[in-house]
Amino acid sequence: MGNKQTTFTLEQLDAYQDTTFFTKKEILRLFYRYRDLAPQLVPPDYTNKPYVKLPYELIGSMPELKDNPFRQRIAEVFSEDGEGNMTLDDFLDMFSVMSEMAPRDLKAYYAFKIYDFNNDDYICKSDLEKTVNKLTRKELTPEEVNLVCNKVLDEADMDNDGKLSLEDFQHMIVRAPDFLSTFHIRI
Amino acid sequence: MEDSRERSLGTRSDEAGSGLGRPGPSLFLQLPSNQTLRFRGNKAEAWGAAVEGAAEPLADDPQEQAPPYAEGEEEEDRKPLRELPLCLEEKRRLRVLQEQAASRLSGWQLWRAGKRRTLRHFKSQAGAVMSYAVMWKSTLRHIEGHFGTGIESYFSFLRFLVLMNFVASLLVVGFVVAPNAAFEALHLNWTSRSSNTSVNASCLRYNPSVYGLVSYFTYIMDLLSGKGFMELTYLFYGKYQNSAVEFVSFSYNVPLAYLLTAFFYLLFCLIWIVRRSVYWLKRSLVSEDASLGSYSNKVFAGWDFGLMQPSAVQLRHKSIRYELRMDLEEEMFRRRLAEQTTKQRATLYLLRGLLNVLVLGLLAGGFFCIYLAAEYSQRLVGSDNSPVKGQTLLELLAAYLPSIVITVANLLIPMIFGVIVHLEKYPLSFEIKITLLRNVFLRLASLVVLLISLWSQITCSRDLQHSDCKDCGYSRLFLCWETSVGQEMYKLLIFDLLIMLLVVVFVEFPRKMLVTYLPSCPLVKLWGQQEFMVPSNVLDLVYGQTLCWTGALFCPLLPVLNTLKYIVVFYLKKLTLYANCQPAERTFRASSSNFFFLLVLLLGLTISCVPALYSMFAMSPSKACGPFRGEPTMWNTVSSAISELPPTAQEFLEFVGSLAFAVPLFLLLSIVMFYLVALAGSYSTMVKGLKAQLQLEGQDKLFLVKQISELSQ
Repeated sequence: MGNKQTTFTLEQLDAYQDTTFFTKKEILRLFYRYRDLAPQLVPPDYTNKPYVKLPYELIGSMPELKDNPFRQRIAEVFSEDGEGNMTLDDFLDMFSVMSEMAPRDLKAYYAFKIYDFNNDDYICKSDLEKTVNKLTRKELTPEEVNLVCNKVLDEADMDNDGKLSLEDFQHMIVRAPDFLSTFHIRI
Repeated sequence: MEDSRERSLGTRSDEAGSGLGRPGPSLFLQLPSNQTLRFRGNKAEAWGAAVEGAAEPLADDPQEQAPPYAEGEEEEDRKPLRELPLCLEEKRRLRVLQEQAASRLSGWQLWRAGKRRTLRHFKSQAGAVMSYAVMWKSTLRHIEGHFGTGIESYFSFLRFLVLMNFVASLLVVGFVVAPNAAFEALHLNWTSRSSNTSVNASCLRYNPSVYGLVSYFTYIMDLLSGKGFMELTYLFYGKYQNSAVEFVSFSYNVPLAYLLTAFFYLLFCLIWIVRRSVYWLKRSLVSEDASLGSYSNKVFAGWDFGLMQPSAVQLRHKSIRYELRMDLEEEMFRRRLAEQTTKQRATLYLLRGLLNVLVLGLLAGGFFCIYLAAEYSQRLVGSDNSPVKGQTLLELLAAYLPSIVITVANLLIPMIFGVIVHLEKYPLSFEIKITLLRNVFLRLASLVVLLISLWSQITCSRDLQHSDCKDCGYSRLFLCWETSVGQEMYKLLIFDLLIMLLVVVFVEFPRKMLVTYLPSCPLVKLWGQQEFMVPSNVLDLVYGQTLCWTGALFCPLLPVLNTLKYIVVFYLKKLTLYANCQPAERTFRASSSNFFFLLVLLLGLTISCVPALYSMFAMSPSKACGPFRGEPTMWNTVSSAISELPPTAQEFLEFVGSLAFAVPLFLLLSIVMFYLVALAGSYSTMVKGLKAQLQLEGQDKLFLVKQISELSQ
């Protein structure tokens, strides 16, 4: 396959292919999506590894993420600075993990980070309440939300400390049959 | 930096803690299990930066970081780089280190690593190319994005059926239809294989071709009912002859090919379905406490991240709300039910018993109607002095009477079931299951009743002294009974497609028009907009496929027709989905149901094997038509073909078919099955024990950490 593009060196493309789940063609297509978000900020030539970060507002306005209630958390988890401003590497990483080829454990790891709103490495009751509220757009009554959170903790909390650790979460995800098909962004 | 992290984490854990005197967070951070989490911050201290044999600045980090790969692990056992939960830059750094380590390997190891890498690249390329060949992939993706995985599972099931029918039709056409057509076209020498036993002349008086001036309308009638000129085409059993053809250097035994093709067609379908069900069984992960939709599943796997359309997003929010509310209500309902007094419970059980008797009565009534309709239809169409002869439309109606009755029964009775199941006051998940089971039973059993009705007419209910069956061994009204059975299946297939078309055009489109242009009409308020009901649509598909399997022995081109029918159904359903339907309020659980649908399909296959096997072994084939005329049973061709094989092969096949082989095989398989069941039981007990142990370990950890922090103060 001839190297007709001038965006990346062959070495860079190989590195991307090994570290993400995308083929060379898909990586280039994703690069053009990234560039389309802000053509004046993103240079067309990445061979000398420029340091470019797109602000969260641009990422959050992408059609794939625009209506997702968790888009801010997704951007925060995958961005280097934790604020949602993403470099190309972060962008590719995000869509690689959310693609259909990523294995369950990898997705479960990142899903845990996404649902952990206060970043204390545990999904506590307040994180759960925030998740349920985001899912239902705050239209359940507080008692209902409380009941649902208690039920989730009953089902998933195995070491009985009142919150979900990564192990609890991963054990629970194994028994959630829909996880692989719903935790998936098509781009 | 560690101090600031400690302080911030300390305040957070005080808020989140249960107030039981929790130990300081710094101790938790030092536990090995916490080391697996990636720490946030500008300096991404990743999980596992050290690689064996590499000198790395990250390795001298004060906190002991466990390497991602265990010591001495071979390269193929390691997780591929892309599956590590690190940021891209870390993965790139690891990759560079890996390459450095690899370059220090010996020559042969280097060559092996290189070969492995090219194989990986080749596999990924091949995977990309294969994904282009998947049929309708973009359509299914679009449906998934707009309507969810539940509806997409229906279309994926339909695609599977189309493919299976297509490959099966290739099989049938390649071995049965094409050779016969080719031999006839080439005017090859046909040598008759039927034995010259004396046959009652009345049994041979079979001549379906029509003479004289026939109206154009008759041709259409014949096309729709499979009679007349259609009976003499390759579509039906009657056309084939009991002869062998001399072709090049071997003799092509037509009846043997016919029988073996039918047999292998059913076997092939069985193998493909079983393979696919095993795949879906693994995916659906049957665990010992799998409920239809547990709370954690709904909360953490409830939001479909792939949804893009604003309307789909709104609907998803609504359906999650609805489902959570339903589950909470069901919980309260169950609690109320458990608190009932004995008297209330007794009345409830009595009510349920009566309603079940009503359900059985309805089913029996429906089956009786189907039986009568089949009998009446055959009598009207078959006899020469029937009142409908000459009036084409009435004849058509009489021919299609069984199909009409079956369709009406399948439309009305499920509605009544829906009302009954509300009165029975089951919890919602059980309600869904039992309704589905009842509908499945209704559909498949109505087909069985039709077949039984036909059988009793053909064999005079096994009464060989009956006036109709005395001469030929089967009823003289059915001189070519296999073709008649094939015709019934053909008519059912066509009627099924016709009904689907009519329902879409005359029910679904007007409903959509009504909802769009007259939203205030009370009918609209009562009826609402069309929802795409996945279970009933899947049952339709299973019913159609069962028809095809049942009729395949008697009507060889039925798989071809079925493939075309399902392609039409795909585009029809896609059209009605986009134009008329809104996604259902209660989202359909795709994963656990895929396996259930394949199970129902397997049940349909089992049911359709019974008529085929029965006709092959126990019924005498027609003497006037078909590739088995003159043989006592259809299986006779195979036994006579076996007797022409060399003696060792004959002995081997005889041994395989005898009891001396079958009984030990059966015993062996039973022993293996019992062993696997015991193994599964022991695994589940082990899992329960391990779960309890995990709980205790967690409590131990808390206790020990508390002790340590108390002692260290």
